[in-house]
Amino acid sequence: MKVDHTLPLEYSTKQNGMNIFGFWVFLAAEIMLFATLFTSYFTLEHRTGSGPSGAEIFEIAPVLIETFVLLTSSFTIGLGVHAMRIGRKKAMMTFFVITLLLGLVFLGFEIDEFITYIHEGATLQTSAFTAMLMTTLGTHGLHVTFGLFWGTAILLQVKKRGLTPETANKSFIFSLYWHFLDVVWIFIFSFIYLKGMM
Amino acid sequence: MSELFPRKQIMGFVFSLVLTAAALTVYFLHLSFAQGMAVLLITAFVQALLQLVVFMHAGETKDKWIIYGKVYFMIAMALITVFGTLLIFLWDM
Repeated sequence: MKVDHTLPLEYSTKQNGMNIFGFWVFLAAEIMLFATLFTSYFTLEHRTGSGPSGAEIFEIAPVLIETFVLLTSSFTIGLGVHAMRIGRKKAMMTFFVITLLLGLVFLGFEIDEFITYIHEGATLQTSAFTAMLMTTLGTHGLHVTFGLFWGTAILLQVKKRGLTPETANKSFIFSLYWHFLDVVWIFIFSFIYLKGMM
Repeated sequence: MSELFPRKQIMGFVFSLVLTAAALTVYFLHLSFAQGMAVLLITAFVQALLQLVVFMHAGETKDKWIIYGKVYFMIAMALITVFGTLLIFLWDM
């Protein structure tokens, strides 16, 4: 395969460039997935029935920690891609490991939050509001969970094969996915939590 | 060591924290619903744009306009879906 050395490794072949573009197409479809979830949430958020409302169950502290952890992980994976571009494999792997650990911390807080909701009587079946809340948060959480496995698999490949056009391409695409999840979280943080507690 | 921490990324991170802090004003100050929503809409979309440009390197290759075109088109579709539905189901128009 023809390798263009004027471009970063992850873009260096025609196939690599197309992989990255293809992933952008996928992310665009993901925007629509979350748009429909937000649409349903906004439509149903006041249909609380006999269950609790958002203002009653949301807590600012865990949400702030989750936001800070995810923003930081988005920053560290950005540093990982930068390290990859200057050919520093070890630094790149360290930043990716930190990113995945932060993802794990985020997930821990989110699971704890779900358990708290369920103890407070807000389950998936309580009301239209709680059903949509948990579906929206759960879809995002599921994406993060999937990302943890995906990121780990890519790290193992980088460790075994080093930084090649293929592994660099996969790592870069994974970083796009991770940043996208951070963007989705920003909207959850703003329009579900902060709006609900306003 | 310092070459691992480019200025652009650090500034991006600091700015994203500032935007989060700005969004938090809706929780700590007593704003009206319209004021609060204005703050949230601005901070969330600036934050999304920041991630797109600084961290996702959206504008650095020659297919940048196809990428931006695709993403902006989908954002437009997403906004039409969200606000179109709100218009019918919540605001009764």
